Amino acid sequence: MFRQKIDQLMWQRHRRILFAIALLTLLGMLIGSFVALHTVVADHGTHQMVNVGLIKQWRPYNGTYFSAYSMWLLLAAWLSGLVVMHLDLRDHFNQFLFSSGYSRKRIYWSKLKVTWSVLLLLNVVATAVDYLIFWWGTPHGYTWTIAWPGVLTSWLVGAIMSLGLFAITWFASIIVGQSGPLVITVAGFTISLAGFSGIGDTILTRGLFKLTGDQAMWVGLIVWLIAALVLFVWGAALYQHLSLEHNGEYLLFPRLRVPVYIVFVLYMTLIFSWSAVDGVSAIVAFVLSALFGYAWLWRPRLGEQWHQWRERKQG
Amino acid sequence: MTLQVTGLSKQINDRQIIQDINFEWAPGEIIGLVGRNGVGKTTLFRTMMNHYIAEAGQVSIDGEAIQQVPQRQQQLFFIDTQYNFLSTYRLWELPRFFGAVYSRFDEQRYTALLQQFKLDANSQYRRLSKGMRALVNLILALTSNATYIILDEPFDGLDVIVRENIATMVIDEVADQQKGFLISSHDLNELDGLSDRVLLLKDSRLAHDYNLEDIRARAKKIQLVLNDKVIPDVIKQQSQLIRVSGRVLVVVISDYTPAVDQKLKALHPVLFEELPLTLEDLFRANLAHDTGYQMIK
Repeated sequence: MFRQKIDQLMWQRHRRILFAIALLTLLGMLIGSFVALHTVVADHGTHQMVNVGLIKQWRPYNGTYFSAYSMWLLLAAWLSGLVVMHLDLRDHFNQFLFSSGYSRKRIYWSKLKVTWSVLLLLNVVATAVDYLIFWWGTPHGYTWTIAWPGVLTSWLVGAIMSLGLFAITWFASIIVGQSGPLVITVAGFTISLAGFSGIGDTILTRGLFKLTGDQAMWVGLIVWLIAALVLFVWGAALYQHLSLEHNGEYLLFPRLRVPVYIVFVLYMTLIFSWSAVDGVSAIVAFVLSALFGYAWLWRPRLGEQWHQWRERKQG
Repeated sequence: MTLQVTGLSKQINDRQIIQDINFEWAPGEIIGLVGRNGVGKTTLFRTMMNHYIAEAGQVSIDGEAIQQVPQRQQQLFFIDTQYNFLSTYRLWELPRFFGAVYSRFDEQRYTALLQQFKLDANSQYRRLSKGMRALVNLILALTSNATYIILDEPFDGLDVIVRENIATMVIDEVADQQKGFLISSHDLNELDGLSDRVLLLKDSRLAHDYNLEDIRARAKKIQLVLNDKVIPDVIKQQSQLIRVSGRVLVVVISDYTPAVDQKLKALHPVLFEELPLTLEDLFRANLAHDTGYQMIK
């Protein structure tokens, strides 16, 4: 499957978990598709699985019963970025990789190449399977129509969204060293992006730029893609300096603690106070996020102090 | 062909763990690395292997720094006994990983050695006993055919049979001068008879680099029985008392010259017998005062 030895090593290492993710994705899609085929029959308002007018437009298609790019593929990308990078740290495979005689640069890009080869293959196979299910399974008397404009646009937009989600979990797994807190951090950040995209949409359509909805979507996607590429390159630079003595700590790069804290406080304050009309919301959001961020990032030290205080009290 | 460690330093959480470590290591040598618990032996290995990024210094093989020429690292083998990825894999799966990294990995020999030591290839690494894991680590080290092999506490907690097996395999392996071993231990007895050189880590620095052959050539361990219970001045001045039991004295003389020999024989001892000199005796006699080394007896 892979010609270079380093790629073969990565494949050997990650094939099981990637296979599990692929299986989960296919299973999720199968269930989703069958449920959609079943529920459409109960809907007496339509006999169309796909809105013919919309699928023929150069826009991503995501209808009530059929999505041209499955949400399961987004989840697969999000999960892959998380597990491929984090499991090597958690299972101490990084120790083996770092003493393998391959440069860290090669290790990093090979890991990315192998993971994305699998994800692209999964994209193609899963999409084909999904379409086939709808093609064969559409109930008698119902129509299922697809058209290249909707399919291609959906696939392009979906692939870019997958890449961005992958980049977020991938990058987070490079800098965060604890499994539970990592999942909480990236899940929280991913959910918060919904609010952030709302802010972006407001700026682009009603703020300075007055763009149309489609234009704002494409600008957002380009920013998303650039952000993903920046995260990949930044991740490569950090990976080069990853020293494993901080394994098991929340931040694998202790010097990032203060920058992460500042970004976290500003980001959370912005999210929670954007639509507020008074300054009180901003102050409350700032104080709460500053306190929470401090407790979260400095919690080992706070935990130690708590234990010391408790022991003193008991002793 | 040599491996050279030059000025290697590593800090962890603002604490200097190893500082300015320098030594050379050639194939055919078995080097012991000793030092008290927590002195930085494992940190030295991890820094040498690029698990930890060094603050300063480098490791080079045949003049090429492994940071600049990473392929050189394939000549260096180390399994971290505390943090390794082997746990979830079965023994038959391991050659796939090591074969992808060590170009001269000998899978046939790996299988043969597993059979020789009655290790089931279908066993999961984590299900093995501590001794079996140590054996598997050594088998992987030997079959990797790397030139420089680092073993971190390979005898720790093992029974005498496994210890002997490991020691024998190491000695056999260096016989053709193609491989070298760097073995850490906090127990000097383990390294006795195995090492050619001993590096002593103290206070985060490499305090001494001893050539044991040179030291052994100069030193002697003598058992004496004297006529009276008073310890003569010559013994007090020239030797280190290892044991006193009534009139029986066991001493180590670090620089055994003909003059010392004459002085001792002039005491007309009832018994004068040379005993085998161990590495522990040497450290106890010569170096304990300046090494701070904790003797184990």
